[in-house]
Amino acid sequence: MSRGTAAERIVPPPLVAASRQRRFVSGDRVFSVIAYAAAGLIMLIAAIFIIALLVPALPAVTKFGLGFFTSRTWDPVRNDFGALAPIYGTLVTSAIALLIAFPIGLGAALFLAEDARLQLLRGPLSFLIELLAGIPSVVIGLWAFFILTALMRDHVDPFLNHTLGFLPLFRGTASGYGFLTAGLVLAIMVLPIMIALSRDVIRAVPRELREASLALGATNAETTWSVILPYARVGITGAVLLSLGRALGETIAVTMVIGNNVQISASLFATGYTLPSVIANEFTEANGNVYLGSLFYLGVVLVVITIVVNVLARLLIWRFSGSARATA
Amino acid sequence: MKRVLMAASMGASILVAACGGTTATNTPATGAGTPVPPAAALQGTGATFPAPFYDAARFAYNLKYSQVTINYNPLGSGAGISALTKKVVDFGASDVPMNPTELTAAGGADAVVQIASTLGTESLAYNLSGVSNGQLKLTPQTIAGIFLGTIKNWNDPALAADNSGVTLPNQAISVVHRSDGSGTTYIFTDYLSTVSADWKSKVGKGKSVSWPVGQGAKGNEAVATTIKQTPGAIGYVELAYVLQTNMTQASLQNHDGKFVIPSPEGATAAAGQYLSINPTQFSIVDAPGPKSAPISGYSWLMLYKDQADKTKGTALVDFLDWLVTDGQQYALNVHYAGLPANIVKDDIISLKTVTSTGTTLLNVPAPS
Repeated sequence: MSRGTAAERIVPPPLVAASRQRRFVSGDRVFSVIAYAAAGLIMLIAAIFIIALLVPALPAVTKFGLGFFTSRTWDPVRNDFGALAPIYGTLVTSAIALLIAFPIGLGAALFLAEDARLQLLRGPLSFLIELLAGIPSVVIGLWAFFILTALMRDHVDPFLNHTLGFLPLFRGTASGYGFLTAGLVLAIMVLPIMIALSRDVIRAVPRELREASLALGATNAETTWSVILPYARVGITGAVLLSLGRALGETIAVTMVIGNNVQISASLFATGYTLPSVIANEFTEANGNVYLGSLFYLGVVLVVITIVVNVLARLLIWRFSGSARATA
Repeated sequence: MKRVLMAASMGASILVAACGGTTATNTPATGAGTPVPPAAALQGTGATFPAPFYDAARFAYNLKYSQVTINYNPLGSGAGISALTKKVVDFGASDVPMNPTELTAAGGADAVVQIASTLGTESLAYNLSGVSNGQLKLTPQTIAGIFLGTIKNWNDPALAADNSGVTLPNQAISVVHRSDGSGTTYIFTDYLSTVSADWKSKVGKGKSVSWPVGQGAKGNEAVATTIKQTPGAIGYVELAYVLQTNMTQASLQNHDGKFVIPSPEGATAAAGQYLSINPTQFSIVDAPGPKSAPISGYSWLMLYKDQADKTKGTALVDFLDWLVTDGQQYALNVHYAGLPANIVKDDIISLKTVTSTGTTLLNVPAPS
């Protein structure tokens, strides 16, 4: 698409002399070659990346096959590996992150985009959100490791256990490390993306729609619920998916608080593991083809999960809005 | 961050020592009679466990011989072995010597020289209010029980039996272990496999294992911090980290039945029980002797026997010869133990087998 618009800009008006026009045409050709080469390079990099991931994974793929996805064992001493526990941990922590970040993010975005009464607060708040987005994940991880874990252990987890302890989710002893803490850290990390993108999408809702709704006698709340949010739905879905992508792949901050324990537990207080954390933890000392291959296999699984999430998202957007607006 | 501070203070102290001590730095034949090494830039990578020692030592060596610069990149033992195998570094470092498979990949057992470079020991650090440093006594059986998950509470009768006079609280035990693959974990699980048949059959030894209980933290620093933050926690930590951060550590019962608080001297005593070690027989855990610290181990350096670049090779063996002799003083500064004399001798004999186009590179008298 960008090639088309750029070409339009380069094509000279018809009044220009023929010789100059020829020079422009050849310039156009050079540009199109460069653009094709750039596009081809991206595909080449993607292909090399997939091959580089698959080839070292082969020893593990041939040894474990699809059983890799159903095995809970991760035993480097006996060379027996399975991905179920880290897959579970990755999905659970990302789900917690979205459950927390989605309502907060949407609320903050609506406030920033819609509420004109607090004009003065809007600038500093937007700035703070962008600042939060710029904090390196290792710094957030350190904060979580030193402050959040103790806070969870002494206050949040006991409170949840006391009030919602009838659910298996909030049972068991709380160490401060585990799925819930990791999910909370991820929520903090994806919030800026969620807020900034949703805010821009909500701002882009045509003014006429708002005014028409208000003119028909709808309240502000009704306008938000029945006009603005439905219109911005596609963009907000996009914001959620970008957040999910970040949550799935986040490594260092999660590694510091999840407890790094290969287990599946219904309790959110329990320690667990995620796919990126296993790779980050064990890669440096992994010896032997099967062990190293299993870590690459985990990498393949992570890429596949990300692709599946993206495809699902595309389908969702198409279904809701038709392909015309799917570019958001 | 602690490590940065540590390295900075170490650097400063070495600088002071170097300025106040020897004045004749670049004159030939100082130290143990070694000739001046040629100008070279050496690259090494590998284990994180001995990294503070290597950093201090290479800094001191560079002050002594400014024409030799040595880089050390602590990426992990596995990285050290694979970087050496791919010949992208001049020397590799690992907490566990290269095994036969790794040696085959590197060109065979005769192609690589492996020397023990330093000696370390591990502590069991804990967080129990009211139980001060060294007060908690642990036997091999209770250590295995805690890490197998059969001893779950601090008031367990098995623990009380060894700790008369100490009030152990009614509190759940939180086990903390390393989540990243490490030589520290190898030495600790080697120890557990040696003292507990149960551990050997259920878990085994390795740089990463499938832990029956507990939570993992990445690196010695994170394990130490997690223990400090979690009431009721216990975990295995490199002695250096315990001493630098003033953690409380347990007295460990050694092979002779004596309770010892892990120390560099305890590591030296344990190592002294084994007259000879080699890359296949190198375990010194659960050593006999009244003073031996039970969870001790060597760290290793690897280089190719046939050095393609004669100048570089000469500088490398000169540096390593210095490292296992005069350089050992820098190990003590950072709480590692000095190598026993018999091991230094073996190291020098090994280094003398390093050649370039058939010429021996290390020209020091063979140790007697």
